[in-house]
Amino acid sequence: MNRGPTLRKAWAWWWGILLAFMLIAGMRLVLPLPFVNEILIFSIYAIGCSFLLGKVGFISFGQPAYLAVGAYATAFYLFYFGTNPYIGILWGLAAGCAAALLVGPLFVRLRSDYFALVNLALAVIVFYLMQKVLAPITKGDNGLWFLTNMTSTPVLDITQPQQFFIFAFLVGLVVWAFYKYLDDTIFGACCLATKINEDKLQFLGYSNFRIRLAAFVIANTTTALAGSLYAVYLGAVSPEITAPSRTADPVIVILLGGVGTLYGPIVGSVAYTGMKDVISKLIGNWEMVIGPLLVIIMLAGEKGIWGTLEPWLKNVLFRRRNTAADDRDEAR
Amino acid sequence: MDTSLLFSGFIFGLSIGSIYFLMAIGLSLCFGLMRVISLDQLLYYSVGAYIAYSVSLATGSFGLGLIAAVAVGGVVSLAIERMVFRRIYERDLTFSMITSFGVLLGGVGVIKFFWGLVPRPVPLPFSAQVDLLGTDVPAYRLLVVAVAAAVYIGIWLFLNRTVTGKAIRAGIESVEHVEGLGINVARLFTTTFVIAGTLSALAGALHAPLIMVDPHMGLEVLAFVFMVVIIGGLGSIKGTLVSAFIVGQVVSIGSLIYAPLAQVAPFVIMLLILLVKPTGLYGSALLKK
Repeated sequence: MNRGPTLRKAWAWWWGILLAFMLIAGMRLVLPLPFVNEILIFSIYAIGCSFLLGKVGFISFGQPAYLAVGAYATAFYLFYFGTNPYIGILWGLAAGCAAALLVGPLFVRLRSDYFALVNLALAVIVFYLMQKVLAPITKGDNGLWFLTNMTSTPVLDITQPQQFFIFAFLVGLVVWAFYKYLDDTIFGACCLATKINEDKLQFLGYSNFRIRLAAFVIANTTTALAGSLYAVYLGAVSPEITAPSRTADPVIVILLGGVGTLYGPIVGSVAYTGMKDVISKLIGNWEMVIGPLLVIIMLAGEKGIWGTLEPWLKNVLFRRRNTAADDRDEAR
Repeated sequence: MDTSLLFSGFIFGLSIGSIYFLMAIGLSLCFGLMRVISLDQLLYYSVGAYIAYSVSLATGSFGLGLIAAVAVGGVVSLAIERMVFRRIYERDLTFSMITSFGVLLGGVGVIKFFWGLVPRPVPLPFSAQVDLLGTDVPAYRLLVVAVAAAVYIGIWLFLNRTVTGKAIRAGIESVEHVEGLGINVARLFTTTFVIAGTLSALAGALHAPLIMVDPHMGLEVLAFVFMVVIIGGLGSIKGTLVSAFIVGQVVSIGSLIYAPLAQVAPFVIMLLILLVKPTGLYGSALLKK
């Protein structure tokens, strides 16, 4: 009552994101640091893919290509030219954006199934480029090691894992706020429309091509950002990050979490990284569990962990609120 | 360049192309008739290779291994079809792609469980060299090409001369009409899927002596097989044959010119073809019903 309506609105807008990131910060206290850092980077990696699949209807088996572009752009800068990791990350972002702009106009014309396969092919091209063709620059399978090249930065020294966590945390917060903002804009609505009924969108005077291109560039720049973060965090980059056997990682993560939901990528990353960790410790054979799990999730209605939990949580937490709002959210 | 080197490169390309063709034909049929993208074909390929390895190790006969591989491939694909695919024919392509990837991943886990992570070598059944136009060519590679040719002729006869085959071809045009004629579409789908799985297993068993058998072998050829399917156009047998030939030659001749080219060049060609013709060489603009 005493809070102003704008403040309350702002709170209603932010509380989900803040709660999610408070939980991640909480995990920092109980779980080992590398694990939490991995989760943060992986969620940023997965949200681009989630956006493409859930909101635009493009499934991409080639996300590692853009991850590698970002990682290698950062690595080249830190290995050959400079020492400041922040500038390295900016280079990664720029390279990711440029790569997406370069291939985007060709790719978004394709049908969804061909789009997936062409992206897969791109990931393999990038893999062999980095492993063999550009070996004199990328050092092939050995990868680029530049951990000692990076100098400490004044305010937030991201060469230290503890402070890197704070940085990745803040970046994640910004990325999530950005994607939540996108959902609310007309552009977000258009993305959804091009997935559901492209003819109608065209009839309304929008260009499907432009909307898809913009979404493609946004999603893959985010993925490249995750690549840069990986590079800075590990202090090394090798072609392994875009290996053909890892192309489906982000797809699995977002399916585990729930496609197109805002928090699905985080939940999926926690579940996937955690399961991989636990299972490979127990039986050293994580595929045997993840594979059937993926099939079961798909057959059970492809909602994923978060997609199933979200309506239930809402019911439990806000039973007193009017159910109309709930139904509307669920229908979404 | 040395002509004999070029010729043996050509034969090498033909044999690689034959393997890709055997796998791609199944994918293409599945897409054409059922409108699913069945990534689990790569699982039957690995299963075929492993069964061929185990049986030929136990009995000492590669021929028996080949037969066992094909049989097991057929049984596994039948089981997967009944358990998983039966439920997802109605869904869109993306759905089947992800689900079948789950099947593939689970299958890789099972293979790891039974055979372990270590790559296994499969001995060549016969290491004779045949003198062809003055060049020594490994006889086994010629056998692979011959098998692929026989399969192509067999599939052609099956699709053009038998009732089931004609029903499959009609189904590629319109499933509703086939159903309207009183043909059991569910059984037709099962038949097609098992044929696809069997051919993939055959491809794996034939490929096994030429490479090392390891759990991730399916994922390694994944990109190439899909490239063959995309270049040829999803759902077209003739296109698959042509593009398997092209890809095989590009891989083989390309590696003679400059080794790293072998892996990258086919992808570049695929991108170029898709730019000119987004549905592949012989693909029709068929969409999901």
